[in-house]
Amino acid sequence: MSDHVSNEGSSLDDRAQSQRLLLESAHRLFGDHCDKTLLDGAERGEFASELAATLADYGFHRLADHESGFALADLFALLKVAGYHALPIPLAEWVLGNRWLGSQSDDTLVSIGQLSDSALVDVPWAEQARVWLGVTQAGVLCTVRPGTWSPGNTIAGEPSGTLHEGEKVAVACNEQPFELLALSRCSLAVGAMQRLLELVIEQVTMREQFGRPLARFQAIQHAVAGVAAEVAVAGKAHDGALAFLNTDRQRDEVAIAKARIGEATGVVTDTVHQLFGAMGFTHEHVLHHYTRRLWVWREEYGNERYWQESLGASICAGGADELWPFLATMQ
Amino acid sequence: MLNFDPVTLPESSEQLRAVIRDFIATNLPAGHRRNSDFTSGHAPEFSAALGAAGWLGMTIPKQYGGGGRGFFDRYVVTEELLAAGAPVGAHWISDRQTAPLLLGHGSQQQREFYLPQICAGTCYFSIGMSEPNAGSDLAAIRTTADRVDGGWRVNGTKLWTTGAHLNHYLMTLVRTSPPSENRHAGMSQLIIDLNAEGVHVRPIDSMTGNSEFNEVVFTDVFVPEGALVGTEGNGWQQVTSELGYERSGPERFLSTFRVFLELVRLVGRNPERDQAAAVGRLASHLLSLRRMSLSVAGMLQEGKMPNVEAALVKDLGNRFEKLSLEIARLAAPIDRDRQAFDQVLADSLLLSPSFSLRGGTSEILRGMIARGLGLR
Repeated sequence: MSDHVSNEGSSLDDRAQSQRLLLESAHRLFGDHCDKTLLDGAERGEFASELAATLADYGFHRLADHESGFALADLFALLKVAGYHALPIPLAEWVLGNRWLGSQSDDTLVSIGQLSDSALVDVPWAEQARVWLGVTQAGVLCTVRPGTWSPGNTIAGEPSGTLHEGEKVAVACNEQPFELLALSRCSLAVGAMQRLLELVIEQVTMREQFGRPLARFQAIQHAVAGVAAEVAVAGKAHDGALAFLNTDRQRDEVAIAKARIGEATGVVTDTVHQLFGAMGFTHEHVLHHYTRRLWVWREEYGNERYWQESLGASICAGGADELWPFLATMQ
Repeated sequence: MLNFDPVTLPESSEQLRAVIRDFIATNLPAGHRRNSDFTSGHAPEFSAALGAAGWLGMTIPKQYGGGGRGFFDRYVVTEELLAAGAPVGAHWISDRQTAPLLLGHGSQQQREFYLPQICAGTCYFSIGMSEPNAGSDLAAIRTTADRVDGGWRVNGTKLWTTGAHLNHYLMTLVRTSPPSENRHAGMSQLIIDLNAEGVHVRPIDSMTGNSEFNEVVFTDVFVPEGALVGTEGNGWQQVTSELGYERSGPERFLSTFRVFLELVRLVGRNPERDQAAAVGRLASHLLSLRRMSLSVAGMLQEGKMPNVEAALVKDLGNRFEKLSLEIARLAAPIDRDRQAFDQVLADSLLLSPSFSLRGGTSEILRGMIARGLGLR
């Protein structure tokens, strides 16, 4: 990738090539910065402002702007890389927010929360942002001017605030923000689960008990195989949705991904913690930076139950005779 | 690391759906009890009609009576048959497994003799692998084939041989050399005529109340020279080369599909929230698995041997098939006319223990996946 993220007027092959370059440089950049120190700092409320500024220098925060030349699917591929490194910056909110804000977009940080009856809740890194957006399940999007903040934290330890009595101004948006944010959690989760699979393979290969590596025990082999299966199926559930962004199939595709990846999250986090033993339960270890984030992402923008219901209602409305024709179309 | 590239079915394959759906609607035998399990329903007339219409041996070259088509065309047709709960048991093994094996390893004479009949839906094979003392540990087989004038003399016992009481031939894994330090050496595949002298087939009642499988005893059975498939001593390699076909298809996650379908019928168009969630959960699992399975079909199409990926699809698929029954039965309302649902649920539940046993147990599959991950 050049100094700036831009990919205008490119052919299909060029697109694949520039996505590859984008993801490679993201891997390098996130990998260089997202070490244990940075992740621990994030839990103390220290924002990775230097890294955020670098992301802005590279233009990552404008990746999904309509004139960036990148496809929306490239963002979700990038978020897998972010999840893999547990990037402690709300990149999905920033990039999607800028896409929807148009001329009001922001180079410092945009964050997004969910509109409840009287508040904007679960706003990651709210105090570091300069523009705040609220979404509803129905897809309404608005900017929110700061009223009173109550600070809080996710169970991953990252700041996540609630904004009371803010002034709301509607933002015109011809996309479904709730669905795209739900999908962003899937992308992050798939990346983090991929990392966990790599970590757990390393763990059972290196760690010895009873005079041999854990990987020599059949019970351990089968447990890791179970993790690999869930990680693989999560990846397929995610990638399938990318071909149908902003089509009339998007909602059902997001539902499949969020529902199945939520279930995979439970199996994967449970098993990897079991295989890392007490060491993985310490704060000193890196494991929880991924597993706790996975538990957060699983709940945000509808957990598996929410999306199962959405998908199920959509299927049932078609009637039993349309079940198989529907499934056969959903590749 | 495991690799599942995305695959989209080509439009030409998609176009087959309407045709095969029409075919099923016209040809489904009267009174057939629909079930998506590939072992349920042995209907030679239906199989022959499929063959005549060109829906069997679809990937086999035309010179042998096949369709000369790609794997995706075959995929669409098989999943449509399973989803409809059509009786595919008679031709299933010969179409899925025997035909590609003979195409890859068979002699010219074998191809010319068997493939046209398989493609016509009139020649049915069973697989003879397990034995009384060789289940998951397949290399422990003891059935022997001793050289005699013009062929072999076979002695031994095969067990759990699905369809042997109804089918014509057995693709039999035998020892042509005694066991040695290399446990996988000295095995060969022979085609044995199930009506040959000295072959005794004894159906075994299963817990479903049917006899899907059998014990097959060979007592001095003469097998002619030409019945050897591939190379003598190469049986293990040939058997393992079939695994990609055997383990990744839609039959590994659609076995209980009719239960899902009847659940949707039962809960109606405006279900309770719990019921909708159950339906959505089933669909999210099924569709994710289907994408993985299609991805393996894509690798087979490219001539790859995705054995580990196929093992993973089967293990996940079998787990889903069992889970699907639990999800469906707990979501089904009790105050509706449940006859159709209860019947297919009962049939599937009784079959369900076999899902993760047949074609490689979960334990064997997870071992293969672990090896693929570099753990053993």
